[in-house]
Amino acid sequence: MMEYKKSKRVTRFAAKNQNSTVITLTEVTKSYTIHHEKPTLVEHLINGRNESFNALEDINLEIKKGEKIGIIGPNGSGKTTLLKIIAGITSPTMGIVKTSGMIVSLIDLEAGFHPDLTGEQNIYLNGMLLGMGKKEISGRIKKIINFADIGRFIDAPLFTYSEGMKLRLGFSVVVHSDPDIILLDENLGVGDEEFRKKSFNKIQEFFRKGISIIIVSHYLDFIKKYCNRAIWLDNGVIKRDGKPINIIGQYLRSQ
Amino acid sequence: MLAKSRHFIDLLFVMTEKELRARYKNTFFGFLWIVVNPLLQMLVIGFIFRLFIKEPIQNYYLYLFAGLLIWNFFSISLTKATPSIVNERSLIKKAKFPRAVIPLSIILSNFVHLLLAFLLLFIPVLILGTLAKFWLLELLLGFILIITFTVGLSLLTSALNVRFRDINFFVQAALILWFYATPIVYSIFVVPRNLIWLWRINPLTSTVQLFQSSLAGAPPPGPAMFISNSILIFFVTALGVLMFIKESNNFDDWV
Repeated sequence: MMEYKKSKRVTRFAAKNQNSTVITLTEVTKSYTIHHEKPTLVEHLINGRNESFNALEDINLEIKKGEKIGIIGPNGSGKTTLLKIIAGITSPTMGIVKTSGMIVSLIDLEAGFHPDLTGEQNIYLNGMLLGMGKKEISGRIKKIINFADIGRFIDAPLFTYSEGMKLRLGFSVVVHSDPDIILLDENLGVGDEEFRKKSFNKIQEFFRKGISIIIVSHYLDFIKKYCNRAIWLDNGVIKRDGKPINIIGQYLRSQ
Repeated sequence: MLAKSRHFIDLLFVMTEKELRARYKNTFFGFLWIVVNPLLQMLVIGFIFRLFIKEPIQNYYLYLFAGLLIWNFFSISLTKATPSIVNERSLIKKAKFPRAVIPLSIILSNFVHLLLAFLLLFIPVLILGTLAKFWLLELLLGFILIITFTVGLSLLTSALNVRFRDINFFVQAALILWFYATPIVYSIFVVPRNLIWLWRINPLTSTVQLFQSSLAGAPPPGPAMFISNSILIFFVTALGVLMFIKESNNFDDWV
């Protein structure tokens, strides 16, 4: 009989010293209810308990400050679920998640923007949703606007912005939030060629700093080059965990 | 802890500002619409009901207007808050932030409207001299009851609506009945004695009565009515808060 632990989440302030653990996952399991359509109250009452599947199963993971981790694995192996659990967007069904410091994700950059608010108002709204304080944002707003290269449009409502401008603004807010842990998705390219370079430089800057980075990607070469640890997820469990060169080699041979 | 609640309040204000700005974008009369609606309702209902009513209510138009303002605050808040978590799914998927700010910002923005409308209501009240002796006390009690109940019920319905989308339709249907179940267009004194318990389980009864008494010279709610309504409001609110805390960890799984 397995012992079922209650799910729990602990958030601490940022760890100061190097080599300290910033993320700990203990026996984390996440199960989703299978629903083909959105459930209705009546259906729920008739069917009683729904069938479910485990997107992650009994994950134990420790991430140290400054580690650059690449998560690989086939589609549906639980990579995104793992990022969501670490980011606190969803909570585990069982197990304990401990994190310290500010976590931001560079996924879905435009989410949280409101078309009727100006660029500046959106910076405040978005920054605060990410967990920044009002004062912090005020202190950095010039930098954010300059980096996004929005210029005089900053006082115009967002619906007048081009797609590229919105992405740039979203990217700029996230990278200026002074995070301790960054979650990255594969699509690193943002906006036009020039900004893509700028954003890539910024991301490389993060890689050089003591910030922990977790990246989900199919670009294995990128992980080989920039990460110092790779985790291979398969069917919701960690299959291998170690040096990118070894793990990626094994992963490719298994395909 | 202090920093957390500080951030919660800042975020709530920014979200409320967003609600207010977004609603009156490109409107010429802006806030005036919040008064025009109940004013029209008041004129139409006032004209028609006076044809039927046996015992005339003193200052009937004022009585109606006070009740309608409270009713509109309640029904608009509930109608908009119930589907709010589902509507803001892009925010939910983006970051970890206190989910309660979504329904609460809707209620707070409506409350700003309510206060502005009340300021206008004071003009006829002062001209007609219908202020009660303990008007301020009644007004404060009324505000406490209506805000607590609206917040509690909205948290409950918005949390449940994430998994059971029927809730939204149920709320819409219930509000139509609820309007007539609340002494807004009529006085509680037309209700037969043996049916009065029905009004005792409607938390809005004494809430509306407090405002009608404070501003329009109607009698205040009886002690039995006030106590039974208050107890019910307390339980609904406690249930709403607990349900929201429980469900909000897993909103992401269902939107």
